[in-house]
Formats: sequence, structure tokens, C-alpha cells
Amino acid sequence: MNPRAQILQGPTSLRRMAALREIDVAAHDALVEALPWLCDHLKEEPEFVALADLVAQVATETPEAARVFANRLGAQPGLAADAVGLRRWALHGLQRHRNDAKRRIHHFEWGDPVVFSDEQTISDTEHLLDQRSSLLHYLAGYGFDDFTIDLHEPSAAHVPDPAPTVAEALIRLPRRVDGIEPRTRELLFRAMIAHAAAHLRHSPLKRDAGNRRPTLLAITALIEDARVERLMVKEHPGLHALWGRFHTASQQVSGFDLAGLTARLARALHDPTYSDPNSWVRKGRDLFEEVAARDLGDVAAFDRVARQLSIDMGKMRFPLPRHYRPRPIYRDDNAILWNENATLPEDESVQAEVTFEFGPRDDKQQPIDLTDIDIRRRFNYPEWDYKLEAVREGWATVLEGIREPGRKGKLKRAMRSGQVPVLGMERTPDRSIRLTRLSEGDELDLNSLIDNTVQHRARIAPDGRIFLRHGRRRRSTAIILLMDLSMSTDRFVPGSFTKVIELEKQAATVVAEALDPERDRIAVHGFASNGRHEVNYQRVKDFDEPFDAPQRARLSGLTSRLSTRMGAALRHATASLADQVADHKVILVLTDGEPSDVDVIEDDYLVEDAREAVVSAAAQHVRTFCLTLDRRADHYVRRIFGARNYLITEQASTFANNTSKTLVRLLAP
Amino acid sequence: MDDFISPLLIEQEPYYRSVGKEVALFSAAMARGLPMILKGPTGCGKTRFVEHMAWRLKLPLITMACNEDMTASDLVGRWLLDAQGTVWHDGPLTTAVRYGAMCYLDEVVEARQDTTVVIHPLTDERRILPLDKRGEVVKAHPNFRLVVSYNPGYQSIAKDMKPSTRQRFGAIDFDFPPPAVESEVVAHESRIENDLAQRLVAVAIQSRALRGRGLDEGISTRMLVHAGALINEGISPHDACALAMTAPLTDDGDLQAALAGFVEAQFGPRS
Repeated sequence: MNPRAQILQGPTSLRRMAALREIDVAAHDALVEALPWLCDHLKEEPEFVALADLVAQVATETPEAARVFANRLGAQPGLAADAVGLRRWALHGLQRHRNDAKRRIHHFEWGDPVVFSDEQTISDTEHLLDQRSSLLHYLAGYGFDDFTIDLHEPSAAHVPDPAPTVAEALIRLPRRVDGIEPRTRELLFRAMIAHAAAHLRHSPLKRDAGNRRPTLLAITALIEDARVERLMVKEHPGLHALWGRFHTASQQVSGFDLAGLTARLARALHDPTYSDPNSWVRKGRDLFEEVAARDLGDVAAFDRVARQLSIDMGKMRFPLPRHYRPRPIYRDDNAILWNENATLPEDESVQAEVTFEFGPRDDKQQPIDLTDIDIRRRFNYPEWDYKLEAVREGWATVLEGIREPGRKGKLKRAMRSGQVPVLGMERTPDRSIRLTRLSEGDELDLNSLIDNTVQHRARIAPDGRIFLRHGRRRRSTAIILLMDLSMSTDRFVPGSFTKVIELEKQAATVVAEALDPERDRIAVHGFASNGRHEVNYQRVKDFDEPFDAPQRARLSGLTSRLSTRMGAALRHATASLADQVADHKVILVLTDGEPSDVDVIEDDYLVEDAREAVVSAAAQHVRTFCLTLDRRADHYVRRIFGARNYLITEQASTFANNTSKTLVRLLAP
Repeated sequence: MDDFISPLLIEQEPYYRSVGKEVALFSAAMARGLPMILKGPTGCGKTRFVEHMAWRLKLPLITMACNEDMTASDLVGRWLLDAQGTVWHDGPLTTAVRYGAMCYLDEVVEARQDTTVVIHPLTDERRILPLDKRGEVVKAHPNFRLVVSYNPGYQSIAKDMKPSTRQRFGAIDFDFPPPAVESEVVAHESRIENDLAQRLVAVAIQSRALRGRGLDEGISTRMLVHAGALINEGISPHDACALAMTAPLTDDGDLQAALAGFVEAQFGPRS
């Protein structure tokens, strides 16, 4: 064997390869075959381990894709050189095509990892994601409240980036914007959103394209763009200058072809001071202005203008370029104007993505058991990839069963809160308790002071209690007791005849009974995971329920199964706490071992993800604490929860006791 | 009228642009002596309306801004000391009851609920104010009127009026006026051109769409008047809007960026 290949074959990599072989033999063999070529691009063993992990990760979800991936690494070993870009690309493929194995295999066979190594795309994307929530607010200002902003698929190196796409309740923006300096980029994003809002407000949407040819569609869209912008500027005059920033076409800089001429016409329609020597542009402007002077709302008349211009364009024999996108850069591809079956010709991959989102789901390839989908609620949460130092959006899916009846409490509360919006509750000042007539305090109690002086003057001995102090309200707490229900909790605790899960149940019972429901609200939840698509989450007792017979029955009915994907469960618990009104919010995790899951073979991934979940919970003022029965837990519990937020209990007899002690400590003011 | 409260009469007409029937309704309620609640978002003109109506009805106006430290004594009065001994000092409410004025309790839900109970005997047909500490029952002057206001926008369980208090009142709902009227108000109050006022109002209307997206309340008419006045002084529209409208409204960076976008949509990008 190649001596460099031996460098890569250390004990860790052998272990990982063995793990990969267990998951899928063919993928393992393909990777072994690729090894001699790969070693030119990999220097150290850890690099190879990371690569093997990645292949294994793909194999756990779609074995065929992993084989394709490993073969491809053999054919194009250079791909392995940029480990980060490759990882990003592979994870993107897994997530994007999570419901479609065919597309996933296609992604690993033909997809281009290079776009994920492109620094500018990455930084542009980050910038856009930073802006996303502010752009959504901005769009809401135009009255479109329920939209989301997403990114286009990254386009291959030779294809220009697509224009923004407006769809029903969704706007897709390009990942990369060329030739725009960062300062102007925020203006560009707002220009894109404002233009989209103009369409949504003023354009007739989803018209039947009929037999219109692509060139006519493009020119009709151009006229429509100008028309809706005119209408929009009437209400928001500043938009004229904002859009004007990006109209740069002119005879000098734009080519003499369809793209150039349409860009120049767009500018001529936008900017009355711009003069263009071209007769087609001039004619377009004259025709447009003539109709605009009559009625900007007359769509049919503008259509006639577009038809006329399109005929003239046809005489010049300029074809519509393959990757035509409307200019200037902020304008969308106008897919929203036409009925889907007749949109502008687009890059196929982009088109495929859009239809994928809205098309009927191909249920056969669904990796999750179909019978469960209808009855369980699904929540998607991100996970933290410490190797990429980035979150994987929507990576884990938490499934929550529909509960048995007996939820009157919840309903009642919902009705009540519907009548009185509970806002600003957390800021409630502590004014209900005012302690007057005290011998010492923070302020003078004016009324008793006067009484006192009156008594003094009347030569009666005053009692001297003239102070006042505000009483302190005991703080309220909302606690989620989060039970690890993984398979490992089925074992006996060393040195006793009790199973771990029984101990957890005992602890939950003790705590749920001990708390004063007036002030402290407790929920008992449990979790067990089966890969990232199926993190089962059970609500044994919810906040608004008493701890009565049905809840006790549910608790004693819990069984051990599956694995421990702690991060996703923590995020879901944090989200459940967000609705609660309390001064303190606490998640108390009861567990017996390290986070693990069937689809993860990397050592630290789930630990680091759980740590990130704890940190983001803390950012939402949710405290986390862990009680574990694993005596070797020290190294990971400390990493996940922080130095002071865990307790290791080795003995079964003290576990429940320690749980309630811990709670007392957590609840202390 | 008693000399004691005649300085509280409003001489100049306070500017108020009527939007609906509120002037007629309020006058009718006042003629019946019915106490009134004015509800509406911050800065939509509730206080200005009360001043205007006090001027119109030729009533002295006594205003109290309520807060959570306010006690019943702060409203009705208390014994104080001087060199000779104790003297009684009427509180603002007692003054209004005794001499016949319009008593206006601004942001009444900020006061503790048990404090506001003292107005109960005043607001039914008894129209009396018992001063238990003094052993006196003050019969309300025929001109005494009671008006309270609050903002239901950030109402919570802790900040609400008791049902027994609410039931004694009539109420008028206020909201920001329609755009044309609002720009007229802004143009008048800050002495700017109507076109400029219209742009400011358009910014405010967009901001009000963000209610419930992290913003408790949108930009109010009062903020628009401030911004307009700053522009009138020669400050650039972007700076004036940032100072008087977007920066005070929220600390959230994303929301501020969106609000700046609305300003940009009216006045163009900052050069």
C-alpha cells in the first residue's frame, strides 16, 4: 500500500471505517478504493477521519448517495482538499433534499461542491441572513406580514446568479450579489423587497401566459415592472431614488442586444432625465408615457405597448439570452406574474427547487414512517455543527404525539388569555405589597409621620414607627423536568435493583408533588430520538395540568427506547418555556449518559450541539441544570451545562432526594 | 367661579382636529355629568382632546398623571403640619370636586386599583366624596367632571381597571386619524408643508404595521409633530426622523433598520 495511505490509517480511522462498514459495506469499499488517490490531498489522519465521518453521515440517511459520494471522491480526489466546503455542500444536499432520495443521489453525483468553497458566496449569504429579520419587518411595513425570505440554490460556477423570485408567501434572494459594495448591499436588499412589494400590491398575479413567446413575456414583465414602480412611488416617493441607484445601463456600458436594450429601456422609464439615442428605447418610452399619462391602472393598454415593442425587437432578431435576468439587479424574475407552466426559461436547477417546495411531496421516498405524520406535530430545530462553526438550519425534527383528552385546563386558559392580552407581565412592578408603619424602612410613611407628630405635640408618647417599605413578592418559576428515555435507561443502576428509568420516574413524582402550584409551575417531559428526523418528545404532565391520575398513569407508562439527542430536546423545551410567564425558567435534565444517536458517529458533535442549545437557552433567560447517574459523566456534562450546573449522583437511593434538593437550590431567590 | 381655580381655566383654544363625532359625544356626556374613559394608543391626541374640551366647556382643568406610587391621599388630600398644628390640604381630586373643575386622570391604569376606588362614590348618582380622615363629606360642585384615559395597547392583568370602576364610565375609543387628517394635524402643529407631512405620516403608517412584530406601538402623531418641527428648523429629514421617530421607538437593531427603510422609502437613500 502507498506509504502515505498508511499515515491515514491510524487507530481512529480504522475504528471509523469499521463503523462505516457496519452502516453500508458498499460505501465503505468505495471509500477504501478511493484512498490511494485521496492521500495526495489529505495530509493527516484527522482529515481522513473527518471525511470518513462525512461519508458515514450520508450513509446513515441514504446509503446509495454515500456510495455515489465515495465513488466521486475516488474520481475527483481534489474535492477533499477543501474539507469545510465539502462538508457544507454535503450537509446542504442532505437537508435540501431530505424528502427525496433521487434528488439527493443526483446532488452527490453531479452537484458542484466548489460553490460552497466560494468565500464571497459565503460572506454574502451570511450578510443576507443577518439582514433577514429586518427585511421581513420592512416587508411587513408594506402590509405583507406572513412572508418568509429564503435563499436560492447556489448556482454553478459558470451560471450567473439568479434574480430574486417572489412566490406565494416566500421570497427567494440570490446567495451572491456581484459588483455591489457592502454598504450599498443593504440598499439593494431593500430595493429588492420594495420591488417585490410593488408587484404584490399592484400586479395582476399568476396570469395565464397563453401563447406568449419568451421575448414577449420578458418585455411585458419589463413594462409591468415600470408600471408598478410608478404606482408605488406615488405612495413612497423615496423609492424612486432608492431604485434609481441601481439603474446604470447606458449606451456605453450596456451591450447592443436584448439584455442591454431592455436594461436601457428600464432606465429610460425610470429616470426622466436620462436620454437614450436608440430608437427602440425612445419608442418604448414614448408609448409607455402616453398610456401612463392616461391611466396607470390600465394593464391591457400596457400589454399592447409590450406587444408592439416585442414585435420591433423581433425585427432586430435579438434572441432572449439563455440566462436572461431582468435588469437592474434588484428586479425579480417575474415568475409571480405568470402561471407556472409558462414562466421565463430559467436555470433548470433553480426552477426545480421552486417547484419542489410547492409541488406534491413524493411520499414514497419519505424516510419517516408515513403513518406517524398525520397524528404527530412536527417542529424543526437547527443544530450546531462545531466543525463548520455554523448552525445547520432545520436539521433535527422533534415529533410530539397528540395527547389524550383531559386538557380542559389548557383550553380554559387559552380562552382567558384571549380576552386579556398578557403583555408586560414580566415587568409587573412589585407594588401589591406596601408595608407601612414600620420602625425602619426605605421611605418615610407620610401619614404615620403626621400622626406621630400630632401625638408628639399632644404630649402623648408617639410610637415612632414612621417608615414604609415595599414588600417583596416571591418570584414565580416555570420548570421543565426533562427525562431522558433512551434505551440505556433500561439498565439497572449499579449496586441496586432499580432501573434508571424507574429512578427518573420517582424523582419526577417527588418534584411534581412537592412544588407549590401557586407560584411554581412544573411540566414533566421526556425525549428519545431515532435519528435527526425523529426526536420523540412526550409531555407527561404539562404546565396547565394537575398531577393527577391520568398524568401519573402516563408517567408510569413510560418505557426506555431509542437514543439521546439532547440538543433538539433542549431546544424544544426552551421553546415550550417561551410561552410561560415566570420570573425564573428552568430546565432540569435527568439523564444517565452521554448524548448519542444512531445517525451520528462523530465523537463530539452531539455534545457540542447540546452545549450550544444550553447557551441559546441561557440567552432566552432559561437556566439549565443536569442531574446524571453516569459516574464518568464529568467530562461531557461539564462541557454541556457549565461547571456549576450539574450534579452527578452515583447511588440510586439518593437520586430523588438530590433532585428535590437541586430544585430548592435553583428556586432560591 | 372661585378665584382659587380660575387660573386653571384655559384661555387660548388648544388646536384639535376633530375626526369623527367625538366632540359631540363627549359634550353630550359631559352635559349629563357622565364620567368618561378615553382609550387609545400613546400620542394619538387624548390629552389634547381633553384640553380642547375643557376650553370649549369653559371648565378649569386639573390634570393628574397617575403612577403606581400614588396613594388615595395623593388624590383626596391629607393632613399636613404647620407651626400651629395640623392643617388639611385638599388633593387635586377634592379641589376639583369642591370648586367645580374637570379632573383628568391621565394613564389611570398605572395607579393601583385600590387607589382608584376613591372615585366610586363620585361617579354614581351620589356625586359625593367622603373624606374619612377629616370626617367630611364633600358634595360635588355641579360643574365637577371626571375624565380618565389609558392606553389599552400594553394593558395586562396587573394593569387594568377594576370592573366595578369601569362600569361607572362612558368611553370613547381613539385611534390615529386617517392619513389625510393626520397629515393636516402634523402640518399644522409643526408648521411644515402638507406634502412633507404626508410623507411623515406614510412612514408612521408603515411602522404601525409592525405592531406585534416586536414593536408595542407604532410611530405616534406626537412623534410626527416633533420630527416635523425639527425638519422645520432645518434638520435633514433623515436625521429628524431618526431622532424623533425611529431611535426612541425601539432598541432592536432589526426593527430600527426596517424603520429606517420606511424613512428611506419616503425621502430616498441617505446620500
